[in-house]
Amino acid sequence: MIDRRKIASFKHSWSAVFIELLLLATLASSPQARADSQHDMLVFLSLERFEMFSASDPALDGFETRAKSDFLYTYNSDRFRFLAEYNWSTSESHLERIQAAWQIDSKSMLWIGRFHAIAKYWTTEYHHGQFMQTSISRPGVEEWEHDSGPMPSHITGLWLEREFSIKDHSAIDLGLATGLAPKFAGHQLVPFDPLDPESGHDLSVSGRLIYRPDILSTNQFGLTFAYNDIAVVSESSPVLADLNSIRHATLGVFSNWQWKDWRLSTSWTYFDIDMRYRDGDVQDDFVLGYVQGEYEATDNWTIFGRLELGFGEDSSPYLQLLPAFIAHRNMIGVRWDFADSQAVTLEVADASTQGHDSSHDNFKELRIQWSAVFP
Amino acid sequence: MECCISVRVRISQLLILTALTFVAQTSLADVAVVLVTYKDSPIQSISSLDIRKAYLGISVTVDGNTIRALRRRDDERLNQIFLQSVIAMSERSYERRLVSLMLKFGTPRPAEVDDSDELLESLVTIPSSIAYMWKSDAEVDSRVRIIGVLWQET
Repeated sequence: MIDRRKIASFKHSWSAVFIELLLLATLASSPQARADSQHDMLVFLSLERFEMFSASDPALDGFETRAKSDFLYTYNSDRFRFLAEYNWSTSESHLERIQAAWQIDSKSMLWIGRFHAIAKYWTTEYHHGQFMQTSISRPGVEEWEHDSGPMPSHITGLWLEREFSIKDHSAIDLGLATGLAPKFAGHQLVPFDPLDPESGHDLSVSGRLIYRPDILSTNQFGLTFAYNDIAVVSESSPVLADLNSIRHATLGVFSNWQWKDWRLSTSWTYFDIDMRYRDGDVQDDFVLGYVQGEYEATDNWTIFGRLELGFGEDSSPYLQLLPAFIAHRNMIGVRWDFADSQAVTLEVADASTQGHDSSHDNFKELRIQWSAVFP
Repeated sequence: MECCISVRVRISQLLILTALTFVAQTSLADVAVVLVTYKDSPIQSISSLDIRKAYLGISVTVDGNTIRALRRRDDERLNQIFLQSVIAMSERSYERRLVSLMLKFGTPRPAEVDDSDELLESLVTIPSSIAYMWKSDAEVDSRVRIIGVLWQET
């Protein structure tokens, strides 16, 4: 049995369930018609077979079949924008994003609500749109909180996004966000859930600066920063018993570049962590990053690979609080696109989780997935 | 006498050839895609960059008016010419960019209509809307005004 993918408990109250059902009903009945572009909806579907093999530890061997769906609803008027994203899978069910924006002018938007952390490149590029990312897996550093991601992925608060156009058709985008950071409970970060609100979340501040040499192209590179005060639920795990809080600061760089049939995406993040124990602070710093290359061999076939690695992460006391975190992964895969908006992807990887000390748990991964977006 | 007949035949042939050439040139010039708006729309002109942005759903304001881009579903050739010549993307890349922008920022996708009748109706009812259509269709409808030629068959 795969223990690093814990089944999330469905602990919503009846009122929360009612709100979720109401939201789903609204999504299902909302007019999809793009003829009336005020309302729009997307549905991302995927079905994945995932197997793990370990020569050194047969206990890690296992398999799982996962079905995922992601519903995105948007509403736009002249100055107002609303976005809601609900994610349902065989292992979890979450209201992922619910955010409203006031368009200050044609270049500036002020968002309020629950949104994905802007200091994470992959997360804000693909969100839960499984079909949109070429690979099946996400880099470990970009994993969601409940999948042992080391960085906050969901912030509830304010987010200002501003585009500065440059005369040569290039642009600089500036994003600044502040709100409620996740808590740390058990073996993972736990974001604020508007459908099941609890107190005890501290401050999150983050930002990003992106340069796009061609405003209409996807080529870009940028800088990110984030500061999160993470409250710790000490009673949730014996290893957290004496830990009061975690001060979590990151500084990152990322780039996405396409040359004809080739594409390269990379992101590197420096972590500066201060773990505040009852009897003193523990300092920790390390770097995590990845490089993903893609080659579009034909219109329908793409070959890709990714290298995930770090510096100073092996003995990180912070990452040892996240034993299921994917510390390293070397992956290759192939994707076949068909019928405009569907794809079948195969991926093999050599990976290791952080474990409870500096000796990682190594294993092989095999994944095959069908993914699609409608309409 | 035979000489005069021969000259007449030559002149006739020349006239027919000239007429055929003129007709051919006229029909070639007519095969064009134009950008149109409602005849009373405040939009007088729009840059090619703004056209591309508007068709990617990015907010474009011209003379204080927010542009709304309209697309027709039913004319595949028209759509392909527009995407290749103006947007410079394949249909698949274009659709994925629209999905990506909607996923990231809730950016609205351009409104789509089923046919030319619905397109004309939308141009009339949606202020500051733009659309692309065949020049020959635009010229015969008094409700639309041509802003510019986007593509012409050569």
